[in-house]
Amino acid sequence: MTAYSASRRLLRRAAIGAIVVTLFLAAALRCDVRPEIFRQGLGQGPNFIASFFPPLWSAAGEMVTPVLITIVLATSATLLGLFLSFPVGLAAASNVAPAWLRQPVRVLLGVERAVPETILLLFFVVAFGLGPLAGVFSLALGSIGMLGKLLGDAMEEVDPAVVDSVRAAGATFWQTIRYGLLPQVLPALAAHTLFRFDVNVRNSVVLGAIGAGGIGEEIAHSMGMIQYERATIAVLGSLLVIYTAEAVSGRLRRRLLGAEA
Amino acid sequence: MLDVHALVKTVAGGRRVLDGVTFSVKPGEFIGILGSSGAGKSLTLRAITGLTEIDSGEVRFTGADQSICRVAHAKGAELRAARRQIGVIFQGLHLVKRLSVLENVMIGRLGYISPLRSWLYGFTDAEARAAVGALEQVELASFADRLTATLSGGEMQRVAIARAIFQQPRLYLADEPIASLDPRNAEGILKLLQPLAKDTPVIGTFHQPDFTRRFCTRVIGIRAGRVVYDGSPQLSHHDLNEIYGIREVQTA
Repeated sequence: MTAYSASRRLLRRAAIGAIVVTLFLAAALRCDVRPEIFRQGLGQGPNFIASFFPPLWSAAGEMVTPVLITIVLATSATLLGLFLSFPVGLAAASNVAPAWLRQPVRVLLGVERAVPETILLLFFVVAFGLGPLAGVFSLALGSIGMLGKLLGDAMEEVDPAVVDSVRAAGATFWQTIRYGLLPQVLPALAAHTLFRFDVNVRNSVVLGAIGAGGIGEEIAHSMGMIQYERATIAVLGSLLVIYTAEAVSGRLRRRLLGAEA
Repeated sequence: MLDVHALVKTVAGGRRVLDGVTFSVKPGEFIGILGSSGAGKSLTLRAITGLTEIDSGEVRFTGADQSICRVAHAKGAELRAARRQIGVIFQGLHLVKRLSVLENVMIGRLGYISPLRSWLYGFTDAEARAAVGALEQVELASFADRLTATLSGGEMQRVAIARAIFQQPRLYLADEPIASLDPRNAEGILKLLQPLAKDTPVIGTFHQPDFTRRFCTRVIGIRAGRVVYDGSPQLSHHDLNEIYGIREVQTA
């Protein structure tokens, strides 16, 4: 008799389905979701969408500076994050750092990744006030959480014999890092950083809407002032930025990884 | 110039991977270390450079200034000073593949430049020219700007030798320099090492008694962490059986 049984699998799937449906209904009741709310909302939908058109094209010129702020914000946050995550990555790599340093660093990185950048921004706004600077620090800190871990992982995978061969020539610790380790992690470093740049551009729009400035702030501001036609232009501006960043970083990353093969 | 005395290293489980390895190296020698995989050949070389810590024993290396460095117990600057004078020829596969051939050669003299400089601009133009000179010795000067990853196994091994030559050491250690090479490439590598040994002793680990017979001045046989043969490279059938632990078959 084998454990493979059609009736038992059917039973198990039905049970899982029942649990999912029950959880969904419980959540809906708890949140006071009622069908008439949907009916009302959907009724207003077409009017609401129509209020975004025609776009206020004359506002396009006002979007140039916010778009640039968003790009600068994401770029400087990525660069700052990259510079800081290299030493953090070293401290997180088991073949570089001793356990007493590595373990707390890994835990801190985990905690850091668990905190969304929007929450980080609330803290930095208290410290630096509203504006792009607080945004740069939030996104840079968020970048360290991700890049520090990925760099640490990449460093752990380098060929130890290559590192030994550099040490054997009488190199110091930092020279061994420079000539033995860095060249081996450079492709991973570049690819992860480009990916993070892409993420930071998106996040900088979101953070902009809650106080970091840039194109996100224009969207939030226009909506708040019920200037929906102007909001359309701001949304188009952010789409342009996000799409361009994704296209550029994706292309560079493919070229980097292509050179690997 | 190098005295290795009673090296002992025990691994987890209590097995002695080095069990009293002792030998001395004199100028002009080209020593071939023979032995089965896991006998302790590579480990002996790693102990000489301090890359592997030993439990007990002594490695005495006489530097250019006639000072004696106890490598196995040295740390920090003293250990780096000894390493600068010991040129390790690793298997070519252990070059830094993403650097150019020339950069890999220049790593040989990393111990002579300040860490800050190695991060700022690395080596000077004069050092680069000298490194090209080392590449000329292994007949690869035209490869200087190539990415190391694009080289063949035999070419990489030559670059590894050029790195050690550029280091201008007082002793060469070669860890299985011909392990992954075809016979013709292997012979080429040994023909490069043989003249080096005239000025600077070479210790190499090998798996081919035919090659050590032809090129080395002395053979050391290691079996289960012990020196079981030390003498002429003209090994007898009996000597080989002793080194590789093959029980002699009595033929009628």
